[in-house]
Amino acid sequence: MSQVYRLSNGGRIDRSKVLNFTFNGQTYQGFAGDTLAAALLANGVDIVGRSFKYSRPRGIIAAGSEEPNAILQIGATEATQVPNVRATQQALYAGLVATSTNGWPNVNNDVMGILGRVGGKLMPPGFYYKTFMYPQSFWMTYEKYIRKAAGLGRAPLQNDPDSYDYMSHHCDVLVVGAGPAGLAAALAAGRSGARVILADEQEEFGGSLLDSRETLDGKPAADWVAAVVAELEALPEVTLLPRATVNGYHDHNFLTIHERLTDHLGDRAPIGQVRQRMHRVRAKRVVLATGAHERPLVYGNNDVPGNMLAGAVSTYVRRYGVAPGRKLVLSTNNDHAYRVALDWHDAGLKVVAVADARHNPRGSLVEEARAKGIRILTSSAVIESRGSKHVSAARVAAIDVSAHKISSPGEWLDCDLVATSGGYSPVVHLASHLGGKPIWREDILGFVPGDAPQKRVCVGGINGVFALGDTLADGFEGGVRAATEAGFKAVLGVIPKVLARQEEPTVALFQVPHDKNTARAPKQFVDQQNDVTAAAIELATREGFESVEHVKRYTALGFGTDQGKLGNINGLAIAARSMGITIPEMGTTMFRPNYTPVTFGAVAGRHCGHLFEPVRFTALHAWHVKNGAEFEDVGQWKRPWYFPRNGEDIHAAVARECKAVRDSVGLLDASTLGKIDIQGPDAREFLNRIYTNAWTKLDVGKARYGLMCKEDGMVFDDGVTACVGDNHFIMTTTTGGAARVLQWLEIYQQTEWPDLKVYFTSVTDHWATLTLSGPNSRKLLSEVTDIDLDKDAFPFMTWKEGLVGGVPARVFRISFTGELSYEVNIQANYAMGVLEKIVAAGKQYNLTPYGTETMHVLRAEKGFIIVGQDTDGSMTPDDLNMGWCVGRTKPFSWIGWRGMNREDCVRENRKQLVGLKPVDPNQWLPEGAQLVFDPKQAIPMDMVGHVTSSYASNSLGYSFAMGVVKGGLKRIGDRVYSPQADGSVIEAQICSSVFFDPKGEQQNI
Amino acid sequence: MSTINVYQQRPGNDAKAETPLHHADLASLVGKGRKNAGVTLREKKLLGHLTLRGDGKDPAFAGGVFKALSLELPVALTVVANGEMSLQWLGPDEWLLIVPAGEEFAAEQKLRDALDGLHIQIVNVSGGQTLLELSGPNVRDVLMKSTSYDVHPNNFPVGKAVGTVFAKSQLVIRRTGEETWELLIRRSFSDYWWLWLQDASAEYGLSIQV
Repeated sequence: MSQVYRLSNGGRIDRSKVLNFTFNGQTYQGFAGDTLAAALLANGVDIVGRSFKYSRPRGIIAAGSEEPNAILQIGATEATQVPNVRATQQALYAGLVATSTNGWPNVNNDVMGILGRVGGKLMPPGFYYKTFMYPQSFWMTYEKYIRKAAGLGRAPLQNDPDSYDYMSHHCDVLVVGAGPAGLAAALAAGRSGARVILADEQEEFGGSLLDSRETLDGKPAADWVAAVVAELEALPEVTLLPRATVNGYHDHNFLTIHERLTDHLGDRAPIGQVRQRMHRVRAKRVVLATGAHERPLVYGNNDVPGNMLAGAVSTYVRRYGVAPGRKLVLSTNNDHAYRVALDWHDAGLKVVAVADARHNPRGSLVEEARAKGIRILTSSAVIESRGSKHVSAARVAAIDVSAHKISSPGEWLDCDLVATSGGYSPVVHLASHLGGKPIWREDILGFVPGDAPQKRVCVGGINGVFALGDTLADGFEGGVRAATEAGFKAVLGVIPKVLARQEEPTVALFQVPHDKNTARAPKQFVDQQNDVTAAAIELATREGFESVEHVKRYTALGFGTDQGKLGNINGLAIAARSMGITIPEMGTTMFRPNYTPVTFGAVAGRHCGHLFEPVRFTALHAWHVKNGAEFEDVGQWKRPWYFPRNGEDIHAAVARECKAVRDSVGLLDASTLGKIDIQGPDAREFLNRIYTNAWTKLDVGKARYGLMCKEDGMVFDDGVTACVGDNHFIMTTTTGGAARVLQWLEIYQQTEWPDLKVYFTSVTDHWATLTLSGPNSRKLLSEVTDIDLDKDAFPFMTWKEGLVGGVPARVFRISFTGELSYEVNIQANYAMGVLEKIVAAGKQYNLTPYGTETMHVLRAEKGFIIVGQDTDGSMTPDDLNMGWCVGRTKPFSWIGWRGMNREDCVRENRKQLVGLKPVDPNQWLPEGAQLVFDPKQAIPMDMVGHVTSSYASNSLGYSFAMGVVKGGLKRIGDRVYSPQADGSVIEAQICSSVFFDPKGEQQNI
Repeated sequence: MSTINVYQQRPGNDAKAETPLHHADLASLVGKGRKNAGVTLREKKLLGHLTLRGDGKDPAFAGGVFKALSLELPVALTVVANGEMSLQWLGPDEWLLIVPAGEEFAAEQKLRDALDGLHIQIVNVSGGQTLLELSGPNVRDVLMKSTSYDVHPNNFPVGKAVGTVFAKSQLVIRRTGEETWELLIRRSFSDYWWLWLQDASAEYGLSIQV
């Protein structure tokens, strides 16, 4: 039974390479060069899935990306599962494992199929909307079962082992599609020296030429393809991308191409190779050579396996050496489809009959068929097919196309394959991604791209240019035009000679008439992927859905991964006829990216796992790791959070670290703080305007704390700035604010005060900062520095230069803990050596490294704010009780002054930052908890503020918090209450936010 | 120039120095990559980096820079070099001077002398950044995987330098030879770039030089 439908010769396959694969658990064989669809057909596999709504058996219809039924789940292991792969686009490889995504328990015996057949009449369009909408809360439940029954494929449950990435390109000409027009265009553009990218979704270039009966210059068309590809490969500026689908056409000629680099090689990419790549292309000119899709005719039971597109049959016969049947009936309304009958006949197979909807066809191909003795029934069409799991007969009847009715009861012809062709629809998807409305052309019975602002050229089939000679000429011309417009000089080329054929017009036939009306006739499918019938479209128009967009959404016509490739025009034609209007009056729906499904892997590229986000490290990170730090993410930085010892939890570690700082000395890596070097004669005046406080009198050698507000008067950053030269300052910012503060300074200097002579440069990464804090910090530092640390020689809020650990350093005597503190700044390349020397000297002082958690506790005990934690962009300096930091008499109206004096900012009863002390010292107020004055009031309660920071404190002996309370500064001593989710209420007393050392003596010792 | 604090920040040669990629221990990776690797990476360590700001349109500024460095002020998106010294345009009023290790303090003093009286800024940023040199036939592919900037020779000739988006952050790309490029990276991001570059060059083979 192996490959019974394989022809004895022919096809672009390698019969010496036999490949085993499995489909739905059964093992089959195919050949190298096959698509999965070709191999399935060669093995006589009729049913590849069950339909979405009615659960009818479905077979392969097409040979390319327009395939609506053979959409399979691929993958040999859980981790390599890929849903929604079209069997027609998947190259066969050894060991390929494919399964149907719908059909339970299996596609041949489907429980839903029985329900579908019985219940079909009960499932009109809008069925799901109408039935499952109520009660709304049940939708989630319904959805789960509908999805399972519909079989939309599934994502893998394990991590994909393969890698995917992006590549950016800039080219002069991007040619989309490598059929005759695209190859010609690429050749013309490539010869000019332009940077050309040629992308095609198929396994090999050539498009329709790969299964064509035509000759070029007297030789098989495929020979010309090989010669062109060879020439293109030799051109250095030409990039060839086979297996690469141009999926999206975005603004400004930006296109995305999904390349499947190794999907044809195996279940997993070979080691070291990238499986799929997303090319992001910016093209000066785009040549769309996307060709045309053959349109099926819509007739009764046209979805029974064994009903196929005419052109697809030719493709299987000529390109893959597969005949998907023995006895063919062809139903057509055009000349071109006759090639199928000829190919079939030439393969030694039986052409039962050709039903041609036209009265008296006399084109070259028709006459060729007649001459071979093929039976041609004119003014006829297949009006329905018969068969449960495969076609067994087709009913051919005489029809009156203009009256849309049959004119004879017709006859049943025994056959196992019905090929149909209803004409050719230009593939306008990409052309309309940006909104260019397609235009209907009656002469070709199809939509062609409309006007669009993009710099693009459409050539060949997409333009309605179908005859091979014309297509090649159109392609050459388009390629020349694109290259010329991109600034290159085209060189002359010769177009290969093609045998001219006489071709007669196509007759407009979409839905084939039946002796019963549409509603009663056997189901006539328009969109097989979404199970949309002609009757459903008629019903939709009867129910008042007259806009094409409404018809689409009500029936699901052309939804999802299908994007209307086969059904769109037929659906429009049926809706238009049903409403008595023309197709152009009906208009078309728009198409959206992506043209075919793209894996999430390709969308994510390499931005996953350890490369998901940049992680920033300080120069001392390795030391933190060696000393057992737990880390906290602060923006992109990894900062030590705490340094647990001997299995300590965070509370024990933080308590120990806090105690060490208060009792002796602690060490903090403060390198992440933003640092900005500011130079210029107007630097001081600039600081006056950007900070809330005054800087005029800050002497060289001194440092000052500053608050920064936005124009609205709300605090947005803070930090200490030191005067290192009369025209030279070092500003520090918060860790998270480093980049935005620098930007803020630049914006104001460049746009508002360009007259101020001042420059800024970030030195955040240049200086590593080691903070020593605690009563013994002076003693410790004195052992490793030549700087005079005497209390009077080096007082609080000043800085000195000197050697620390033998390395030049700037040491700032500032404090964020309330203790005696020195911030030692070292050129980052030398910081590790200095740290090691300090640590060695610190042993006798119990020098204790601490992290951000201890830093938070210590600063909160002192009531020092953290911008972004205790502020939220709605707090003025006065709200923070930091009015002391506002220069109310500065001559220039600095940023925020006007804003903070608005009526609303100076009113009574604003939320103000205060300390909060739980009445029960063991209770802990959750950060973010809401506060009320009266816990007994009815819900919704009158909320008067919230907790911003909250900690358990060892040194204080009780838990404490900071928070904002309406009018809080006048309520010191009052009680507030925080109702908790569990119904309990935490009672707290409002107090000063400075809990520790209110006089600031500790930092001045 | 007492109004500006000019400070020798580099210690003597006996001090322990760790470059931003110290933790990657590149020396131990030399010779471990694929034969005929498509990409070769080298960290140009511990050089002197100075940011220079001033008015590029002022002939006195350009003249002063030339006097101090014997280099013409480079125009937009270019880098000029004189032996081991290079000067790169970073913005309309901003340049990057890279000098051999240890020469940054003298270079700053020389520049300040030559530019005396002009409104300028010179900042030693040597600890905050480093240069990675990438060479080999596949460097362009690695760059195309990483940045949306056009790195084709037509658009990116030797001598060009741009600051741009790279993976999920930013850096400066400098083209110094037909197949030789430099990435100017910030210290705190160096591990991200190291991981990224290893990954992006994996399919071409990566070898390390010191």
